[in-house]
Amino acid sequence: MSELPQRQTDIGPPHYEQFLPPVIQKNYGQWKYHEQLGPGHMVHVAESGDKIWTVRVASPRLLSTDTIKDMCDIADAHCDGHLRFTTRNNVEFMVDAESKVEPLMKALTDKDFLIGGIGPRISNVVHTQGWVHCHSAATDASGLVKALMDDLGDYFTTKTLPNKVRLAVACCVNMCGAVHCSDIALVGVHKTPPRIEHDRIKNMCEIPSTIASCPTSAISPDPQKKSVKIKLEKCMYCGNCYSVCPAMPIADPKNDGIAIVIGGKVSNLRSNPKFSKLAIPWLPNTPPRWNETVAAVRKILETYESGARKHERVGEWVDRIGWEKFFKITGLEFTLQHVDDFTFARETWRMAATFKW
Amino acid sequence: MEKEELKKIIYQLVEKSTGKKKLKQSDILKKVAADQGLEKSEVKAALRELMDAGELIFTYFGGSFVEIPPKE
Amino acid sequence: MSMKHQTPLLDELEKGTFPSFVKEIKRAAEHSDYAQDLLGLLELSYKEKVTHWKHGGIVGVRGYGAGVIGRYSDIPDQFPGVAHFHTVRVNQPSGFFYTTKALREICEVWDKYGSGLTNMHGSTGDIILLGTKTENLEPIFAELSSKGWDLGGSGSAVRTPSCCLGAARCEWANIDSMSITNEITQHYQDEMHRPAFPYKFKFKVAGCAVDCIASIARADMSIIGTWKGDIRIDQGEVKNYAQNGMDIQKEIVDMCPTECISWDGSEFKIDNDDCNRCMHCIAKMTKALRPGTEKGATILLGSKAPIVTGALMSWVIVPFMKMEPPYTELFELVDKIWEWWDEYGKNRERIGELIERLSFTTFLKEVGLEPQPAMVKEPRRDPFFFWSEEDIEK
Ligand code: HEM
Ligand code: HEM
Ligand code: HEM
Ligand code: HEM
Ligand code: HEM
Ligand code: SF4
Ligand code: SF4
Ligand code: SF4
Ligand code: SF4
Repeated sequence: MSELPQRQTDIGPPHYEQFLPPVIQKNYGQWKYHEQLGPGHMVHVAESGDKIWTVRVASPRLLSTDTIKDMCDIADAHCDGHLRFTTRNNVEFMVDAESKVEPLMKALTDKDFLIGGIGPRISNVVHTQGWVHCHSAATDASGLVKALMDDLGDYFTTKTLPNKVRLAVACCVNMCGAVHCSDIALVGVHKTPPRIEHDRIKNMCEIPSTIASCPTSAISPDPQKKSVKIKLEKCMYCGNCYSVCPAMPIADPKNDGIAIVIGGKVSNLRSNPKFSKLAIPWLPNTPPRWNETVAAVRKILETYESGARKHERVGEWVDRIGWEKFFKITGLEFTLQHVDDFTFARETWRMAATFKW
Repeated sequence: MEKEELKKIIYQLVEKSTGKKKLKQSDILKKVAADQGLEKSEVKAALRELMDAGELIFTYFGGSFVEIPPKE
Repeated sequence: MSMKHQTPLLDELEKGTFPSFVKEIKRAAEHSDYAQDLLGLLELSYKEKVTHWKHGGIVGVRGYGAGVIGRYSDIPDQFPGVAHFHTVRVNQPSGFFYTTKALREICEVWDKYGSGLTNMHGSTGDIILLGTKTENLEPIFAELSSKGWDLGGSGSAVRTPSCCLGAARCEWANIDSMSITNEITQHYQDEMHRPAFPYKFKFKVAGCAVDCIASIARADMSIIGTWKGDIRIDQGEVKNYAQNGMDIQKEIVDMCPTECISWDGSEFKIDNDDCNRCMHCIAKMTKALRPGTEKGATILLGSKAPIVTGALMSWVIVPFMKMEPPYTELFELVDKIWEWWDEYGKNRERIGELIERLSFTTFLKEVGLEPQPAMVKEPRRDPFFFWSEEDIEK
């Protein structure tokens, strides 16, 4: 093997300044306003009068180096070798003259990049690793995103909504992707506790660390069997124990499924940031197209689209009409699972005699 | 105190608790600094040399710990 | 290279208009055995509806306790290409701007030593390089670090800080989120790479209350830009919005949460004393309205996900802090908070959980922050409060 270069430690990331397009370096901190010119296309104007045009395209987040190099080719040809990614896995190409916008957009569409995601639309979907990379996944994430966005793609590229709708997918309740503050989010859920394979535990698992792995202290030793037992009412099906002890499988293809939570937001615009709340506790896990889940999201989205006032986010709309009305007009079933019995439960109960019929 | 001696003390502390209680970096800094009457930063510098030499390593097990590397 | 495994279920996800991750894996599979076997493994997951990954093994680069995450297939015999499939977290530059030269360099290293698959970016913000073997880790680190890249955080450490692009291209940035993030990252290199905390600690920096980086929901410390003083109004531009069809009464005045705006068709007035700086009017009329000029940040602490005790969002601990290099006030505050956390935190206890357990009042006292109404939604409802020695007349 060839000689390796000298490693360095604690140098931190490269300084961002070297990566900024010249027009941004020049006008850093001096931006005056921006205008949205199309579904994936905006211009920012600086105090100096300089302008920068941005074209936003979707990515699947999981990118091959080949596709990154394709993006680089386009950025080299049109953007003087600069590009950036957004917090929601979109890619932005920026140019400093209006005449460069059309050729850039053409180059992008020629390569099948999807332009959109700016303004009162659905932007790209924040999501997690799923079956591509994670041991706790109750469902896949990339596949769900793809199925969902193939169906809702018009809301990325053309159609508008009362306000932005932020979608997120987490493949288990660990929710690496912070789905708990999204307008509409899908979460992979287990419905059954881990199964303890007593014969295998003896050889495969260290009992103390298995016990320690449980966040709710549901696991205790079972000295007779030289194994462990689970206090069922404490288990929240998180799968942590399986990470430590492979003899406690939790995956259950028949019962694992998808929950939908809605109405979260992180921005402070108008109303305070909100957590998402449970809309549908369980839908079957049906790869590769997850038709039930996609249809349910579409139904919630369309009910919001027709009922919300301009600028209302999903959560603001539901807060205005009330959750009881939300369940009525969407026709979604209200179940025992919807009633909170976790840490902050009491704050969610209705301590008033006012509600809608 | 000589750095080499301090390194030995740290290594022995980790060795002694292997199999009993996993130590976090801050457990080591607190204990050794208190026992030897040193600044935590001195202990930290010595610990870092042990890490850089690969004599001790970080492990992750529902939290990050300092351990002796497994024998091949 | 032809595909090693048949993947009828995944092939279904090559169809449709949205960009396809299956196409990406197949592109990588043209030259990567890892990607070939990843396809096979994933197809099996699609068929059986179970995951085929497991934790295990202690992997990393020498001297660091962060930045590499071990990952193994649970059926390595069937899919040897992904027997090891470790993740490398590479610290992204603030704001996610790149030159093509820099991206190509990373791609080159990754094509040589890894699967050719990435996440641009992970939800914490790192460049995620997905899938390599243990013996490649040191070479990857040598190649990357010699080109100026370093690894991000993982484990019980400072996690890779991230931010919105702020001053680089957004007129609402009240603070230089990219500079602050870069400074934090450089200042706490040791705390990122050599885990010493009870659990993870995340910083996220947003230029304004729109919070494009979702800091309030997923950072232990959320730094959100804001201002004092009057919103700057360009009355001419307000009229332009009205003429161009905006219903200012309905879309702006009626939607202001504090009801502090009035509009009579010719003059747009804001009672700034009553404005809570939610950003709605500014966001909707960006040409006409601009934040006030005395800028700084609100510091919030403590968000985390629901496991184990329920989700928390960050809450205010410092209503207003000036944010100017070298950010000494911020670093001093952080150091005090960490000292307290280090003293009392249990393994896997986030700072927000510790404050819940020992109380917000204890935290305020020990970290030396003055109580202020901005820290709470409302004062307490119960009469069960405590006094300290010095409050009692002897
Ligand atoms: C259905 C209920 C939910 C579950 C089971 C859940 C679970 C989780 C878990 C396990 C984590 C990672 C925990 C950690 O890092 O300590 C997480 C992170 C997060 N969740 Fe949720 N979540 C839920 C709902 C929500 C809601 C409603 C919001 C927002 C309104 C939200 C926002 C976040 C954020 C922002 C993070 C990242 C926090 C961090 O970085 O620590 N989650 N969630
Ligand atoms: C006590 C048991 C364990 C618990 C509760 C646990 C929990 C977690 C949590 C919360 C994370 C995400 C947070 C983070 O990045 O630090 C995580 C990630 C991870 N854990 Fe564990 N874990 C446990 C045991 C293990 C073991 C034994 C291994 C391997 C030896 C392991 C390997 C990993 C890896 C590789 C990741 C990162 C996954 C990625 O980003 O690709 N874990 N684990
Ligand atoms: C072993 C399975 C897991 C895998 C493969 C995995 C993978 C990942 C990856 C790749 C990231 C992005 C990292 C970055 O951008 O730097 C991430 C972030 C995260 N993970 Fe995990 N993770 C795992 C387990 C967990 C667990 C068990 C938890 C919680 C208890 C957890 C909580 C989180 C959180 C909160 C984030 C950051 C979200 C944000 O900052 O927006 N993860 N995970
Ligand atoms: C119309 C005025 C707005 C402007 C100029 C604006 C600007 C931006 C910019 C520059 C980004 C990229 C940030 C980054 O990746 O670092 C961004 C992303 C984002 N913004 Fe805004 N924003 C606006 C309104 C909003 C509103 C009203 C919300 C939410 C209510 C919002 C939520 C977000 C989110 C979630 C992202 C991440 C989206 C992505 O990366 O694709 N923004 N915005
Ligand atoms: C240790 C403190 C308190 C004590 C000992 C106390 C005691 C009492 C007593 C003896 C009554 C009369 C009950 C009756 O008529 O049967 C009463 C009524 C009431 N107290 Fe308190 N109280 C305390 C604190 C508070 C606080 C802090 C509030 C409000 C924030 C409050 C609000 C009321 C109200 C609204 C009533 C009338 C309730 C009704 O008629 O239904 N009290 N309290
Ligand atoms: S959400 Fe759960 S399954 Fe998905 S990547 Fe995170 S820990 Fe893994
Ligand atoms: S699944 Fe989670 S809650 Fe249930 S026993 Fe295992 S670790 Fe505990
Ligand atoms: S958080 Fe505010 S300053 Fe930062 S990009 Fe979003 S709108 Fe701009
Ligand atoms: S920023 Fe919000 S609270 Fe302040 S005037 Fe505008 S809409 Fe009203």
